Amino acid sequence: MSDKRMVDKNGMRGGAGISAIVLLVGFVFQWRAVVPAIAVALAIGSLFGLRYSPLGATYRIIKKAFRLNVPVEPEEEPPPRFAQTLGFVVSGIGSLLFIPGWNAAGWTLALLVALLQGLLAVTGLCVGCEIYLYAQRFKTREAEAH
Amino acid sequence: MILRLVVALAVAALSIVLAVLWRRREGRFDQAEGRFTPGDLGVVKIDRPSAVLVEFYGQDCAPCVTVQKRIGKIATEIPDVQIVSIDAGAHMDVADRYEVRRVPTLFVLDPNLRVIWRASGVPSEDAIRNALLGPNWAGRPAPKAARQQRVRH
Repeated sequence: MSDKRMVDKNGMRGGAGISAIVLLVGFVFQWRAVVPAIAVALAIGSLFGLRYSPLGATYRIIKKAFRLNVPVEPEEEPPPRFAQTLGFVVSGIGSLLFIPGWNAAGWTLALLVALLQGLLAVTGLCVGCEIYLYAQRFKTREAEAH
Repeated sequence: MILRLVVALAVAALSIVLAVLWRRREGRFDQAEGRFTPGDLGVVKIDRPSAVLVEFYGQDCAPCVTVQKRIGKIATEIPDVQIVSIDAGAHMDVADRYEVRRVPTLFVLDPNLRVIWRASGVPSEDAIRNALLGPNWAGRPAPKAARQQRVRH
């Protein structure tokens, strides 16, 4: 096993499900504040690590409160952390688009984040993680070539 | 408001549709082509088993642990199968040669190391069993030949 920091994959999925629901409910009621709120939550996970992510913390609280018997599935932190960074960038741009009044564009990006987070929650497929792994492979191949 | 609700439901539905499509593809064995070399498998000599199951795994890959448990169980049921586990991160050249894009990825080979089946993701126990014993492959392992090896590199 490597010495990289590990995170709970199911925690990540739970957090993704929460953010997808929050963004969809926010869209229905036009609560624009939820988009920057999710962007900040993703930024915290991205900058300080997933263990500090408010979304993951919410998942842990729900899991404890309802005594959910969801096993911990450890996996390396870098790919999901990169995915959180991507989520932060997209939802951050979405938040900025609300400022000049480009609401449709802002909500489109927010819904894209909700879609990908929903997919992660339901299947465990983390698109950002896949992008990270492709980038790593590309980097390694380039390094080997030179 | 109703339009927004419809859009939100459409996004949720799209998530579910993509999830269903992903699940159907995940871990499914498809026929594949190609041939491994003993060098790729990290073995000097293949002792002519009836089948070789090649597993590409990654360090700290949670689904890989699930697959390894399933393979371990099936290996006790199906003799005469040689299992080769390859760390895709440490053997990227081999992984690239066989277009392994993600881990876990499994290959079922015939005794001549020709690729018969390939699956990415987490196949069910039955799917692995069928790939090794299924009716579509005449070279399937002979249950009586009590021979089992496990190679890891």
